[in-house]
Amino acid sequence: MAARAQAIVIRPADSAWSNAAGHLRRLFDYGDLLRTLSVHRINVRYRQTVLGVAWAVLQPLLMMTIFAVVFSRLARIPSEGAPYALFAYVALLPWTFFSTALTNATSSLVNHSQLITKVYFPREILPLTYVIAALFDLALGLVALAALMIWFQAPVTLAIVYLVPVVALLAAWALAGALLLSATQVRWRDVGVAMPVLVQVLMFVSPVIYPLGVVPDAWRPLYLLNPLAGIINAFRDVLLRGQAPDAGPLLYAFVVTACALPLAYLVFKRAEATMADVI
Amino acid sequence: MIDVSFDHVSKRYRIRQPLEAGRTKGDVVAPGEPAAGGGDTRDFWAIRDVSFEVGRGETLGLIGHNGAGKSTILKLLSQITTPTEGEIRLGGRVAALIEVGSGFHPELTGRENVYLSGSILGMRRREIQAKFNRIVEFSGVGDFIDTPVKWYSSGMYVRLGFAVAAHLEPDILLVDEVLAVGDLAFQGQCIERLNELRRGGTTMLFISHDLLSIEKLCDRVALIERGRLVANGTPHDIVTAYQHMTATSHMAAMADAQIRAAFAAARVEAVTFHDGTGAEVLNASTGEPLAARVHYTVDATVRDAVVELFYYSRDGRILHCQQSTAVAGGELTLLPGRGAIEFSMPGLGLQPGVYAIGATIRERSGSETIDWSYGRTVLCVEPGRAMRGYFYTPHDWRLVAEHGQGGDHGPHS
Repeated sequence: MAARAQAIVIRPADSAWSNAAGHLRRLFDYGDLLRTLSVHRINVRYRQTVLGVAWAVLQPLLMMTIFAVVFSRLARIPSEGAPYALFAYVALLPWTFFSTALTNATSSLVNHSQLITKVYFPREILPLTYVIAALFDLALGLVALAALMIWFQAPVTLAIVYLVPVVALLAAWALAGALLLSATQVRWRDVGVAMPVLVQVLMFVSPVIYPLGVVPDAWRPLYLLNPLAGIINAFRDVLLRGQAPDAGPLLYAFVVTACALPLAYLVFKRAEATMADVI
Repeated sequence: MIDVSFDHVSKRYRIRQPLEAGRTKGDVVAPGEPAAGGGDTRDFWAIRDVSFEVGRGETLGLIGHNGAGKSTILKLLSQITTPTEGEIRLGGRVAALIEVGSGFHPELTGRENVYLSGSILGMRRREIQAKFNRIVEFSGVGDFIDTPVKWYSSGMYVRLGFAVAAHLEPDILLVDEVLAVGDLAFQGQCIERLNELRRGGTTMLFISHDLLSIEKLCDRVALIERGRLVANGTPHDIVTAYQHMTATSHMAAMADAQIRAAFAAARVEAVTFHDGTGAEVLNASTGEPLAARVHYTVDATVRDAVVELFYYSRDGRILHCQQSTAVAGGELTLLPGRGAIEFSMPGLGLQPGVYAIGATIRERSGSETIDWSYGRTVLCVEPGRAMRGYFYTPHDWRLVAEHGQGGDHGPHS
């Protein structure tokens, strides 16, 4: 028989706070499960649909069309010189990612209560896999964006490499929200019920429909506490304006996320200890 | 070398009391947390101050009534939940042999699901690859392995899920009611696999209501009752103690459930069991002689009476066996006064377990039962000469020589 793993000591939940490094090592040990489950999410999402994976691209494209008609033609919202359709799509990509990841990941624990009460594995794997699956959709959406940019004859510049850290930040923020909300939903199902409203509100307080420029300066510091503001603005900077992202709003996003993610993880791990009892 | 140690472990749940009618009943709230939505909470100790150790390579059985805390112990061991007090030490990797079809995705094929549930159970991809063929063979799903599992029969589904779990090779294996899975052949396969792991030196904790397999498989048995470990010793001693306990508590509970005709002409007073010497016994053994007596009181003569005895499963859902005075012998007339009918069995055919006993008195011609008694008596059957199968049938054997080669009873000799 293979060499035995280190002896394990199980103690009451109160001691779960202190061991962040141990939690991460555990997660690393379960790397295979994270990979298998993430691939599984992507595989399963569009099974038994006629259009299959094309839905990943169709969703933001359809939204884009509706937005273009309603907000550009009817409401005459400014788009800073770019075609409104492109202007909207560039923001819809990170937004669709965020709302999909947050919605699916938040319900992930409750939806897998059967597993949680039967098998142990680091529970954060469940919300994580939904964030990863949403990243896959985002990648496909970016491919469609390339086609759109050729269609609109929009220039592509090297600034596009800034997308890599910006997407990483976006994913980290989505994960922070997902960890916090999924752990909360285990105890209070109200979270799941409130989710659609929360997502709607988040969209209106993020520069998806309108440019960041229309937000009055006085409101900015408050407005930018929502990391999506800086992140979506960075998407537009990089893809529409072909320039490095505006550092100010992005810094806000970074600081908020850097504080929120570790905190959310600790809250999650604290809740994990008794998750199976209350789910 | 100790592989599992429970050191004064307790687990408390907070049960929320319903605030008003129609509200969800008994929501469980985690310890130390306020109850969601307010309301009073009540503490419930699923296990209380439990200490035991399991040596490396040893198999410990856990028995006790439903809700006694056995499953909580397994949940703590597999780290699904954490203790409220105390400390648990584990000497290696733990895995639970449970039915994990719930980890399956209906749209995925059997093959994909093997990888999926294997990794959920903590196997590495490489490990699953290496064991894949054995898993498929064990499950018996054969060519259907590349069919989405939503088209599987429920039996195939469960077998495949179980086959994955059965190929875990942990240091410590937790087994919860393995015998509830699949048909008899598959159950035999599972027992075989457990024995294989045992021989390989795996430490095991085994929960089952099947006392016979507990006795067969375990080195030691612990009895859990209302969250406390009340006894810990050799399988035979603990199983016997448990059966006695069950018998006494069951009789008290069932006495209330009597339905009796107030002015019946005849009443069943009691059912007693007696061994070969005639002494009254609470426990019997499979294959050994046993007599059952139905004691009655008669107020008015009952002509052409029939007295019958029923052996039910403990929950009363399965009738295992019936004995009746109507099968053979002459007409039975019950005269006023007290008396008893004895049914004698040269070798008891019931398998080990606990049986609820029912008795009736009726007239052969009449459709109405004069009196019946159910569940006031419980019969505990110990293994004795128990064989495998659903029942034991008394038997002899002899050597039969063919073609007149000098046996005592060849054909047409």
